Amino acid sequence: MIQDTTVTESRFNSISKRLDWAAGPWARTNWVALGIAIVVALALPLVLAGFATGRFILHLMILFFTWGIVTQSWNLILGVGGIFSFAQVALFAIGGLASGVVSQQLGVSPFLSIWLAPIAATIAALVIGLPSLRLRGPYVVLLTLAFAELLRNFATQGPAWIAGGGYGLRYVPKLGFEEMWGTGMGRVAYYYVGLLLFMIATYVIWRIFHSPVGMSFRALRDSETYAISRGVDPFRFKLLLFALSAFFTGLAGGYLVHYNGAQSPAILNFPLTINLLAMVVLGGWGTFWGPILGTALLTVLPEVFRAVDVYRNLAMGLTLALIAVFAPQGLFPLIADGVRKLLQLFRKQQEE
Amino acid sequence: MEKLFQAIYGGILYGSIYGLMAIGLTLVWGALRMLNLAHGSLYVVGGYVAWTALNEWALPALPSFALGVIAAALVGLLIQVLLINRLLGRPSFFNAAMIATVGAAIVIESAMLLIYGPRVKQMAPVIPGHFKTLGVVIQYQGLVIIVAAAISLVLLSLFLRKSRYGLAIQAVSQQMDAARLMGIPTVLTFTIVMAISAGLAGLAGVLLSSVFYLAPTAGFNPMVKALVVTIFGGLGSVKGTIWAAYVIGLLEAFLQVYFGAGWALPGLFLFMMIMLIIRPTGLFGMGEVQRL
Repeated sequence: MIQDTTVTESRFNSISKRLDWAAGPWARTNWVALGIAIVVALALPLVLAGFATGRFILHLMILFFTWGIVTQSWNLILGVGGIFSFAQVALFAIGGLASGVVSQQLGVSPFLSIWLAPIAATIAALVIGLPSLRLRGPYVVLLTLAFAELLRNFATQGPAWIAGGGYGLRYVPKLGFEEMWGTGMGRVAYYYVGLLLFMIATYVIWRIFHSPVGMSFRALRDSETYAISRGVDPFRFKLLLFALSAFFTGLAGGYLVHYNGAQSPAILNFPLTINLLAMVVLGGWGTFWGPILGTALLTVLPEVFRAVDVYRNLAMGLTLALIAVFAPQGLFPLIADGVRKLLQLFRKQQEE
Repeated sequence: MEKLFQAIYGGILYGSIYGLMAIGLTLVWGALRMLNLAHGSLYVVGGYVAWTALNEWALPALPSFALGVIAAALVGLLIQVLLINRLLGRPSFFNAAMIATVGAAIVIESAMLLIYGPRVKQMAPVIPGHFKTLGVVIQYQGLVIIVAAAISLVLLSLFLRKSRYGLAIQAVSQQMDAARLMGIPTVLTFTIVMAISAGLAGLAGVLLSSVFYLAPTAGFNPMVKALVVTIFGGLGSVKGTIWAAYVIGLLEAFLQVYFGAGWALPGLFLFMMIMLIIRPTGLFGMGEVQRL
C-alpha cells in the first residue's frame, strides 16, 4: 500500500500536485467484499436460470442494469451537476434507435452497431447541451422537454424505418444468445453482458465522483460564480458533463434494444421519465449509491406489490409519498446515517 | 379568410384551457417554489366528481360542476396538509416535494381507476349544439369554456391584487422571509394557494370532460402542456402565464389550420426552442431572481 502511494505520487508530482492519490477512496477499497460481490454476481444467474421464477428474476436484473446505468448517468447531470435536464430518456431512445436501425436496415452485426448507440447519444447531447448552457434551472427543463417531445413525435410519425407505422422499431436483430444456448442460458449470457456494461459505467462514474472533474461539477452546482473565479470553465465542464452522461445512457439504450428486439416510441412518454426521476431522488440524488439503491428498489417494489393485486399502484404511490416525506434527502443518506450510528453504538459497547 | 377565423377561434379555445391549467401551476411555483406533478390528477378528480354528480346523483349542471371544483380543491388541500407542509423548510424541499406529488398523483389516479374502472367516460356538454358564423363551426361548449376561463382568470387576478389573502400570496411569492417578518402566516398562505390551484385544475377537468374523454390518466397531457406554458411565460409570473397560454394556444391553432395537425406539436416545440435561445428567461421571466 505504501509503495503504491509513492509510485503514484511521483507520477503526479511530475505534472502538478492537484490530487493526493492516497486520499482517494480507491486506497480504502475493501477487496474481500468486492471479490465476494463479483463472485456472487457471476454465480447467481447460473443458479437462477434453472427455474421459471429464476429466469424472471434474471429479466428483472437485466432491467436493473439498464436503468441503473441510465439513473447513474442522469444523477451525474441532475445531482452532481445540478442541471435539470429532462432529455435523458430521449438520449436513451436515440441510442436504441441508432443501433437498432443500423443493425436492422444495413444488416450489421448488433455487436458492432451497439457502439454507434453511445456515439449517437453523445452527439445529440452536445446538440442539446449547447443551447441549454445559456439557460438556467426551469428553462433547461423546458428546452430538454421540448427536445424529448420533438423526438417522440419523430419516433411515432417519422419515416417507416424509424417509426414503423407508430409501433416503433420491431424485429431488431437480437444478440443471438438464445439460438446458441437456449432460453435459460441465453438469458444468462444477456445478464453477463448487462453486468459488464453496468460495472464499466459504475466504475467510470465512481471515478468521476472522486476526481477533480467531479469536484468541478459540484463546485459549479453549488456556486457558479465562485467556481468560475477559481478557474473552472463552466462551458467546457458542463458540455463534458452532458457528453459523459449521454455516452452511458446511449449505451444502455443500445443494449436494451438488442435484448428486447424492439423499441416502442412509448418509452418516450412522460411516465418513464418520472419513474426514473423517482429512482434517482428516492435513492438520494447527488450521492453515488443513491441512484443504484433507488433503481433496485423501484425495480423490485412493483413486483412485490403484485401480491396486493388491484391495489398495487395505490401501494406504490403511497410508498413513494411516504419515503418523500420521511426521507426527503433520499434513502441512502438515511441508511448510511443509521449504519454509522449503529457502528458507534457497537464500538462504545466494546470499549465498556 | 375562413381559415383565419378558424385558427383564431381554436387558438382562443386552446388558450383558455391552457390558461386554466397553467395558472395553478404558476401560483404554486411562485409561492412554494415547487413543481406540483399532481396537478393533472386534480384535473381528473374534478372531472370524475362532476360526472358522478351529474349522471349518478342526477344533480343539475351548475351544482355538480361546483362539486367537482370543490372536490379537487379539497384533495389539493389534503396533499398540502398531509405531505407538503411537513417538508417545508427542509434542505431538499424541491426534490422531496416533487416526488411526494408524484406519489400523490399515482395514489389519486389508481383510486379513480378502482372506483370508476378503466372504461372512459364522457360528460354531456352544458349547452349542446353549435352554430356557424364566418364559416367557422362554433360549439356552445367551446364558448362556455372560453367565457368560464376568462371569468375565473379575471376573478383570480382581482383576488390576487385586491384581497387580503391575495396580497399575502403575492408578498410570499416575492420575498418569503420579509413576508414572514411582517406577520403573514406563510403556511396558511401556502395552503390557500394550493387549494386555489387545485380548484382551478378541477374546473379545467369539469369543463374539458365534455370535450375530451375522461380517464384516470386523462390529466397528464393537459398538465405537460400547462407545464410548458408556465415555463414559457416565465415561472411564477401570473401575467406572463396568461399571455403565454393564449400565445401558445393561437400558435398551435395556426399551425394546425395552415400546416395540418401533424405539424402542430413539432412546430410549437421548435418555436419554443428558438424562443428560449433568444430569450433565455421566458416571455415575462423574472430574470436572475434567486431565493437564498
